[in-house]
Amino acid sequence: MLRLSSSSSRRLLNAASSVVRTVESRGFATTGARRADITLTVDGKEVTVPQGSALIQACEAAGASIPRFCYHDRLAIAGNCRMCLVEVQRSPKPVASCAMPAMPGSVVFTNTPLVHEAREGVMEFLLANHPLDCPICDQGGECDLQDQSMRYGSDRTRFHEIAGKRAVEDKNLGPLVKTSMNRCIQCTRCVRFANEVAGVEDLGTSGRGNDMQIGMYVEKTLASELSGNIVDLCPVGALTSKPYAFHARPWELKKTESVDVLDAVGSNIRVDSRGVQVMRVQPRVNDDVNEEWISDKTRYAYDGLRFQRLTVPLIRQGDRFVSATWEDALNAVAQGLQASGAKGDEIKAVAGALADTESLVALKDFINRLGSDNLTTDQPRGDEPPVHGVDIRSNYLFNSTIPALDKADAILLVGTNPRHEAAVLNSRIRRNWLNTQMEVGLIGEQIDAIYRYDHIGTDLKAVDQFVAGKGAFAEKFKAAKNPLIIVGSAVAEHADGAAVFKALSTFVQKNKDRLLTPEWNGFSVLQREASRTAAYDIGFVPSTKSKGVKAKFVYLLNADNITPDSIPENAFVVYQGHHGDAGAELADVCLPGAAYTEKGSTWVNTEGRAQHGRAAVPPPGASREDWKIIRAVSEVAGVTLPYDSILTLRDRMWEIAPSTVKYDETEPTTLDISAAGLASMAGLSAGKASGVPFRKPITNFYQTDPISRASVTMAQCTRSFVDQANIADDAKLAAAQTA
Amino acid sequence: MLRTVALAGRATRSLPRATRSLASQAAPAQPQPPAEPKTEGSVATTFGEKSDVPAAVEPQHVVTADVVSGAPKQLRHRVVRIYKPTPTTMQSGGSRNPGWRIDWDTAVGGGRWENPLMGWASSADYMQGTRMSFSTKEDAMRFADKQGWDYYVQAEGVQRIPPKNYAENYVYKPNTLRIARTK
Ligand code: SF4
Ligand code: FES
Repeated sequence: MLRLSSSSSRRLLNAASSVVRTVESRGFATTGARRADITLTVDGKEVTVPQGSALIQACEAAGASIPRFCYHDRLAIAGNCRMCLVEVQRSPKPVASCAMPAMPGSVVFTNTPLVHEAREGVMEFLLANHPLDCPICDQGGECDLQDQSMRYGSDRTRFHEIAGKRAVEDKNLGPLVKTSMNRCIQCTRCVRFANEVAGVEDLGTSGRGNDMQIGMYVEKTLASELSGNIVDLCPVGALTSKPYAFHARPWELKKTESVDVLDAVGSNIRVDSRGVQVMRVQPRVNDDVNEEWISDKTRYAYDGLRFQRLTVPLIRQGDRFVSATWEDALNAVAQGLQASGAKGDEIKAVAGALADTESLVALKDFINRLGSDNLTTDQPRGDEPPVHGVDIRSNYLFNSTIPALDKADAILLVGTNPRHEAAVLNSRIRRNWLNTQMEVGLIGEQIDAIYRYDHIGTDLKAVDQFVAGKGAFAEKFKAAKNPLIIVGSAVAEHADGAAVFKALSTFVQKNKDRLLTPEWNGFSVLQREASRTAAYDIGFVPSTKSKGVKAKFVYLLNADNITPDSIPENAFVVYQGHHGDAGAELADVCLPGAAYTEKGSTWVNTEGRAQHGRAAVPPPGASREDWKIIRAVSEVAGVTLPYDSILTLRDRMWEIAPSTVKYDETEPTTLDISAAGLASMAGLSAGKASGVPFRKPITNFYQTDPISRASVTMAQCTRSFVDQANIADDAKLAAAQTA
Repeated sequence: MLRTVALAGRATRSLPRATRSLASQAAPAQPQPPAEPKTEGSVATTFGEKSDVPAAVEPQHVVTADVVSGAPKQLRHRVVRIYKPTPTTMQSGGSRNPGWRIDWDTAVGGGRWENPLMGWASSADYMQGTRMSFSTKEDAMRFADKQGWDYYVQAEGVQRIPPKNYAENYVYKPNTLRIARTK
């Protein structure tokens, strides 16, 4: 809930602030489960926590901070570092507070000489084998071991081993995670993360005692799209970020809280920048969206922001681009529009994946003012109205919302691979799958998932089969209390899309009592592009009339998945965006825009949650914020848009789609409206089944958009994770063929 | 939060030059008299009595500090952000987490550029290095009010940590084993 206020509207603000949801801090009252509470005393303070909490949680709730290395709020408890020792009355020894359940009535001390001495002892053991390389360690300045040794470390050594400190071979985990295993303190956070969250079950420990090592046992990279998170988790500098190695210290960085746009989850991120460069991207905690994790693309594609940028306006002359001033470029656009003779729907706009909501609204207004309805999105079949329609939001949103994934007890995936389309969301499916008896079914191309699933089929036939209640998974789905259907965005692009939506919505209608109740909305569409939901929200879709009209003037807004043959010959093409990628190649005029780290703009994620991205660094060169460019173009084209500031533009957004400016909220669609949406889809006329199997829309997770395609790190990931897999697949195929 | 945008629009009293559109020859928007919120007034009043802003801040009577402080007029035209910085994910300790903060959005254009002589970052924006910490959101809002700054408040990120238990590692689960917890 982002609120804007002026000093002259404070009364309103008073009114507004009381609706600010009292946002839960790291508290216990917020746990959903109704458990009995227990009361205990920590440092003389009474504290009440839910039964089944760990003692460390109770201490935290009482405001006592407990040093820890292995305990992590979002991982299972290991209890192997012993740093969290506390004194419990009538217990003969100090106890590890993370591995000890909080007991009613117990009396706990976290700050006594005994506790200090115990922790100092633990620290001494840890440091005995820890190298003294803080000055050259990337963790320096944000290291738990460094900080805690300031308090519990001893000031002189008793370590006089002739053989010196333990030495461990570094492991090669791939191009993202740099290892320096001498520094490892065997907390096993990385192991637990890989096993529980990322689903890479090969990471583990081998050996014991002084010889214990973290690794895969055989030489192997950490092939997971969440692997970057272990860099954050590692309490010491054993796992650090390879692309960021030796680049900056945390205290030099300016931290800007923003949102990610490289998939449609809208992960909350913190952009750390120095000067005019983005140095790294870190997750921001938000349990409604990404919890504490972000995908590797989100985290590491930032170096793509430095390469291949459009920094000045470019005008095509013959077969090359010459740089121009803004004035010339804008005039060239106006002249091109005139010279092309485009009228009505011959003026076409294509909105790509990285277009922010403000510029989408401006572009739609601009194109509409020119008398055209030809507003298309940059995806297969983007030039026809989407099959699910956009009149009712619940037809294209992730209605169940992301946190509800923890409650589902049967999930059907249709034509989607959440692992690549929404990696962070996928980890929630895995968690639920691990912790409950939840079952997953898949219709579509087989995927390399991080949970086991029933493969029902690959095409429309399988959908029909499922809807008819045939097959083992359909039985399980029938028995589920909170069943969830996740339809991939690629289904709407498929030739049988209408038939799938028709079949599934009829199914939902029939099973309303379980799939569409006041508490549960079991029909969700998973978008994969950051701009898509917003585009549908504001009605950035072509009209039936405009379909098939041969465009004479094409305005590409961040459209980089475009194919040259979708642009008619002799059309005048304007490209607006931040990278010289597929779209810019086709353009007659390129207008340099700002990337997501360089503008304050609105992004709507797949749940329909509007979030505010913030500018961390200024846009390079002469590039400008995107909506301003469209505003300027509209002026030279003679149809001036009526907004001069981002605030008046947001007023306009409020007029056409209020949900796009209600920040940090998801607005559930009411039952009646959802039902109406389903009815409209159930009434679709499905043509003849093409029988073409559903394909995964993303073949290479690491390179999906101009930013990640320009990124060196992502190219390295492609080489070591995607190409390797392909090579292995090819080898298997070849072996199968010769056999 | 029906008022969000109504508020957004009202903050346009006077537009900073910097936010004028690129090639716009249009005159900067005229200061607009604060209009009533566009949305249902009832919403505002429903919540009106139960405000979490201390009553002491009766908005109409605040004499903004810049009348006498000599702060540049332009500051008035910039919306500041009030937010609670997220705890870092790199560390588990809590003492580095400040309370609420006020800072300024990066100015496009004059924000920062690389100095050709030294390669350092230069800036024409005197607020780009400034941030202020407050212990509560209300303090921050009151401060902004007193300075006469427009502001927006960003909600904190949500954290829900379930009760955790070491024994969960060994809980029996029926059906096929899905994870081997001891590694
Ligand atoms: S590498 Fe880091 S996270 Fe993994 S066990 Fe060692 S210290 Fe812990
Ligand atoms: S945090 Fe309790 S043993 Fe490691």
